[in-house]
Amino acid sequence: MVAYIDNKPYDIIEGETILNFLRRHLGPYPVPTLCDAPNLEPYGSCRVCSVDVALEKNGRSKALASCHTQITEGQYIYPDSDNIRRMRKSILELVLSDHPLDCLTCEVNGNCALQSVAYKIGIRDVRYPDGETHLHREKDLSHPYMTSDLSKCINCYRCVRACDEVQGEFVLSMAGRGFDSYIIKGQDVSFAESDCVSCGACAQACPTNAISDVFESKSLVPRSTTRTICTYCGVGCNLEVATLNGEIKSIRAPYDAEANQGHTCLKGRYAFGFYNHEDRLRSPLLKKNGVFEEISWDEAYGIMVDKFHSIKKEYGPDAIGGISSSRCTNEENYLMQKFIRAVIGTNNIDGCARVCHSPTALGMQRSFGTGAATNSIKDLKVTDCILVIGANPTDAHPVTGAKMKQFAMKGKTTIVIDPRKTELARYATYHIAMRPGTNVAVLNMMLYYIIDAGLDDKEFISNRTEGYEDFRKEILRLDMDKMAEISGADRKLVKEAALAYASAGNAMSFHGLGVTEHTQGTFTVQLIADLAMITGNIGRPGVGVNPLRGQNNVQGSADMGVQPHQGAGYLDVTNPEINQKYFKFYGVAVPSEVGLKIPEMFDASIDDKLKALWIIGEDVVQTDPNTQKVKKALRNLDFLVVQELFMTETAKEADLVLPGASFLEKDGTFTNGERRIQRVQQVVEPVGNSKVDGQIIVDVMNRMGYYQPDYDAAIMLEEISQIVPFFKGVTWDRLGTNGLQWPVDESGKDTEILHIDRFKRGKGKFAYHDFRETDEIAEHGSKYPYIITTNRELEHYNCGAMTRRTANVEILKEDIVLINPADAQTKGIKDGDLVCVESPRGKVDIKAQLTEEVKPGVLSTTFHFPEIMINNITGDVHDTEAKCPEYKVVAVDFRKSRKQHLRKAGVLE
Amino acid sequence: MTQHELKIICEKNHFDRHSLMDILHEIHDHQGFTTEEDIRILSENLKISEIDLRQTISFYHFFACSSRGKYTIYLNNSAISNLKGREEIEKVFIEEGGCVKNGVSPDGLIGLYETPCIGMSDQEPAALINGRIFTNLTAFRAKELLHNMKKGLPLEDMYTTVYGDGRNAHPEMKSIVRNNIRRVGPLLRPSEKMQVLKNQVSQMSPEQVLEQVKLAELRGRGGAGFPTGLKWQFCRMAEGKKKYVFCNADEGEPGTFKDRVLLTEKPEDIIEGMIIAGYAIGAQEGVLYLRYEYKYMKNYLEYIIQTLREEGFLGKNPAGIKGFSFDMRIQLGAGSYVCGEESALIESTEGKRGEPRSRPPFPVEKGYLGYPTVVNNVETFCAAVKIVQFGGDWYNSLGTDESKGTKLVSVSGDCRYPGIYELEWGFTMRDVLEMVGAKETRAVQMGGPSGELVNKHQFDRILCYSDLATGGSIMIFDRRRNVIEDVVVNFMEFFINESCGSCVPCRNIPKLLKEKLDKILSGKGTSQDLADMERWGAMMKINRCGLGHTAAHPILSSLKNFRSHYERKLRKHTDFISDVDLLEASKEAAEYTNREPVI
Repeated sequence: MVAYIDNKPYDIIEGETILNFLRRHLGPYPVPTLCDAPNLEPYGSCRVCSVDVALEKNGRSKALASCHTQITEGQYIYPDSDNIRRMRKSILELVLSDHPLDCLTCEVNGNCALQSVAYKIGIRDVRYPDGETHLHREKDLSHPYMTSDLSKCINCYRCVRACDEVQGEFVLSMAGRGFDSYIIKGQDVSFAESDCVSCGACAQACPTNAISDVFESKSLVPRSTTRTICTYCGVGCNLEVATLNGEIKSIRAPYDAEANQGHTCLKGRYAFGFYNHEDRLRSPLLKKNGVFEEISWDEAYGIMVDKFHSIKKEYGPDAIGGISSSRCTNEENYLMQKFIRAVIGTNNIDGCARVCHSPTALGMQRSFGTGAATNSIKDLKVTDCILVIGANPTDAHPVTGAKMKQFAMKGKTTIVIDPRKTELARYATYHIAMRPGTNVAVLNMMLYYIIDAGLDDKEFISNRTEGYEDFRKEILRLDMDKMAEISGADRKLVKEAALAYASAGNAMSFHGLGVTEHTQGTFTVQLIADLAMITGNIGRPGVGVNPLRGQNNVQGSADMGVQPHQGAGYLDVTNPEINQKYFKFYGVAVPSEVGLKIPEMFDASIDDKLKALWIIGEDVVQTDPNTQKVKKALRNLDFLVVQELFMTETAKEADLVLPGASFLEKDGTFTNGERRIQRVQQVVEPVGNSKVDGQIIVDVMNRMGYYQPDYDAAIMLEEISQIVPFFKGVTWDRLGTNGLQWPVDESGKDTEILHIDRFKRGKGKFAYHDFRETDEIAEHGSKYPYIITTNRELEHYNCGAMTRRTANVEILKEDIVLINPADAQTKGIKDGDLVCVESPRGKVDIKAQLTEEVKPGVLSTTFHFPEIMINNITGDVHDTEAKCPEYKVVAVDFRKSRKQHLRKAGVLE
Repeated sequence: MTQHELKIICEKNHFDRHSLMDILHEIHDHQGFTTEEDIRILSENLKISEIDLRQTISFYHFFACSSRGKYTIYLNNSAISNLKGREEIEKVFIEEGGCVKNGVSPDGLIGLYETPCIGMSDQEPAALINGRIFTNLTAFRAKELLHNMKKGLPLEDMYTTVYGDGRNAHPEMKSIVRNNIRRVGPLLRPSEKMQVLKNQVSQMSPEQVLEQVKLAELRGRGGAGFPTGLKWQFCRMAEGKKKYVFCNADEGEPGTFKDRVLLTEKPEDIIEGMIIAGYAIGAQEGVLYLRYEYKYMKNYLEYIIQTLREEGFLGKNPAGIKGFSFDMRIQLGAGSYVCGEESALIESTEGKRGEPRSRPPFPVEKGYLGYPTVVNNVETFCAAVKIVQFGGDWYNSLGTDESKGTKLVSVSGDCRYPGIYELEWGFTMRDVLEMVGAKETRAVQMGGPSGELVNKHQFDRILCYSDLATGGSIMIFDRRRNVIEDVVVNFMEFFINESCGSCVPCRNIPKLLKEKLDKILSGKGTSQDLADMERWGAMMKINRCGLGHTAAHPILSSLKNFRSHYERKLRKHTDFISDVDLLEASKEAAEYTNREPVI
């Protein structure tokens, strides 16, 4: 099939637009466009892209907008006829007749779609007379990040569409009609007053300077940018960072990025200001008589080597431990575990995955053989149903969350299982709001109803799985009334949701920390896997089990062996064959006993068994549960090294503090939640006297007598690819712009979907687990009748060390506790009151917000701010299998605080 | 409204965001406008963002976010209303009623707003007060209304009991509107209810029905004239789990009121036509999109639909036709001319801003809720019934070579017998003028503002698709009227108000053209201005929708047919006058420098 461009034949693709057809054959800019954008649906409001279309050669033609008109066979397209050229010129002049001509003083001068289109068309002046205009509109500078100057608006709807189609936030809109139509934010208020989530999609989409940001990101000239990967969550957004004279100016999102297609959230786009914040640690610090003093790197290394040697000599290698960081690169994590295993000689290495997704890794390994997401985020485009359990993606994984929200808003089947009415839950088809801690009961109910309705995929079960018969019997033996009573979930709703999931065709599940951070975390993951297997939702596009990874490189750090029982590539350290393999590869003997998990390290320290600990990039004091116990454990150590960007609560406890480098200051790779290994590229030099974390580890390794070449991401990857089986074909060059999804075979071919024909472990394993009440409730429930559950806010990341040092604090400046109005009334609490929340461990004073987002009996809060230190009250209960702490269920009681001003958290004596 | 009340409304509408128009109407019926709090509560219940609600509300003329008075008067400001004495009525409302133009009286009692043609051009001046129609207003009647409003009387009590003719007096309608049927043809002749469905359609296959419509060469009666048979065939061929038949009763073209009369007198025929269309294309559901101005008919039409349902003509197996079911509902609009465009009408029915969609896909492929949808004008459905009844051949024998059948025209303006005429295509304008008793006619606006303004030398032109096409509007202006001041300016204001604002040319050009008109009327025009207007007007053809394509027609066609009227107003012997008044522009500088400008 062909159509003609200026009478020359070219092939057409059925259903493509004329614009697409022209782009394929004439290059990216065949005709000028204004309202068209790479990540938005065609809209057709500016009409600048119009072309002449005739049915016969040089025949009678009609001007049609090329962006939304489909090409048909045999059409003759004249993209640049005299008629069209005249018309374009007139349209542009029309646009300019209501647009200020202050280009020289405009932020986007030189990077403005309107300007370049006018330039291409050749506009010198506007022939339309001065009439009524909108040039009097005032600037909106109310927001910490977003700015607008709507006198420059050309009504192209790109911002409105970006807000709707990309973010799904519906903050921007067009009000009124005709000449008087104009962009409004929220209920026609300022950016600051609106519900804007500052994702910046509108600023990036706006072709002029009508909407921008305080970083003037649109003044960015592409040649000074570096492409790298965001550090703020497991989505793995690609960022384009603009620098000037070695300083970061602004960040945009590349449209060709697989992970984020031109989108980011406010953390990725705007919260980079921490990197050269005055609080950044700029030199190694040694604590002398309780006061930190700056020392040189040589001194610091000397102290470390001495301490590690002497402790190893006196107490053995198992008296030393390391906690590596999921914010660091794969290469750094690999080095850290190598250091602990090969240089120190212990398996006491763990990472923050312990407190987030360790049950996912374990549970999915038990069911499938691999502890990673089975599918890719892009499968959201092809799936018929999503099941989101214990995750709040619009806050914690905003770019993926926005895609899910779009999915739900299109009316596609969305099931949310979450005690809180999260944003996604508001748009969901089914929202099952159970009591925190009863995931197992709810999932068992779903499984029961699916089996009961005969919707189990018998063919898949018999061909691909094992253990089903026993599993089925156990499930059918359950009493649904009892399960409903335990979970507080509506039976009918659970049944409808279960049947919707089972009969959807392609159903995908996603889960977050609301699944894992429980006594029965690993079991819950296994039940989610059961749910996928029983319905045959494995091994093709649009299905599977997909954990939403918390930190940017949780997947990678686990892949690299940051856990006490598995080395690099998830190989079992207790297996003699594996041990030999590591021995050969590292050139030194490696231990074969499973090491200590993080909570066990704390216990070991309190028991005087662990003497030294090296913590990289994790604030265990603020983020691990039961703060007082963590502090006690750290204080009991002989030697604590903390490698950090800032003086965190944990760093304060250290004997030696090492200044590490942020993601903007180093090379390496991060692996996102869909197993995509992507290149992190250095944008600026590390600040002050800080060093790339990988180099610090290498330096210490060398000083302790183990030869390791200087840190270089490409060389490190080469080493890793030789030991980690699923990294076999990974090289720095092959990763290219969009990375590769592991496993990557020798030829460099990557994998979008796991377990297509067979599971990693052969057959998928069904595992039945009955609901068991957590010890927290069983022991303390009667004295502390409320449950507090912890979660995240969009604006902040984990302990907040980075985001609190950006303008994000202007948007959200404190932790608050969410209380149902009914509970608040019982306790005589008003919105904004300080309340004292007390658990068996301690109490904190925190500001209350009354909301229906939580059910009666449930409170919810965050731990982004050290002023509150909510983990003073969280408990000591862990997942029985993976030792992940139960942050999500804490038995508490609360009352109005006696003093109504905020003070630092107090602790019960 | 309270949270509870709103929730009940939403519940009644199954919490379906697509029912937003109905929900908003119910709120407006209750309290006249939507509050911020209402928007918040609706947003929660319907799962639409608050801003989406706001943008939808702000799009429609008859929705508001603040009070428009206990009594809200929408006084028609069409060209016809103007020449029938609108100004005098408005004066009474303002001077004696304390009303503020396009605002609410200080005491909050009466809101007075302008609104474009409300479909009463044969009985102007007319106004819409709290959703009811008041026609043939006089100064006396206006004073009487004011008096009653100040007493706080319910609107019903202000209505006379002398209802209009025909079914206007129907107990479910009780309106004072008159039909003014002047010439009757096959469409307007009395017919027996659902006879064609019972006797003919039940014996025919859908293909045979389609065949007859194609044979008749029926073209859409809304104005665009797309072949109906072809439209139905496309929709029949399109794939979809469901299909829809939409009746476009959003009769918004100024000067048109023939659908009003068909809706009043022939609702059974319209519905029969919709059922027939549903049968031919394989649709199960119908929607009649009724313009807000005709809200007074809503109860009546719903009563008719319910009666037909009870009689077995709607629902499962209409008239006993096996394997076919069809039911329908009414969707009330909220005041937007562009909603008469088929894709905008569908958007509006989905509860959104009535902005035309980009095409393709066409509604016959992807229409309401994404399902294949046929949208036809009221009259088209009536004609389809007659075609099936008497055969495509018969219909094809009426009219001219390329315009088949009869056409209902609404005649208004300077003539003795304004009203509805059913004419075979092929009459000359002169015939029509004679028939309606028009004397000393200066200009005739054919097809409403989007059509053509005809001068007296063109009265031998023929009413048909290839010459003087019309969706039904014929407005007559005699020698007392000024073409530019009384007609063109009014029409341009109409288009400025009704543009949705999406396409650049449609958003900006009508405004610029109007500014040119003002310049010419102020005596500053030159021949250059006329050339500019023609050039700019020509750009309108690249807009997305029909409104955009035609929004410069009042100027383009008057420049063509009444050029001398413009030329008479131009500055003589001057090709160009700057838009800038130098004296005015340098005034500020002169003040600062304390010097007189030397110009």
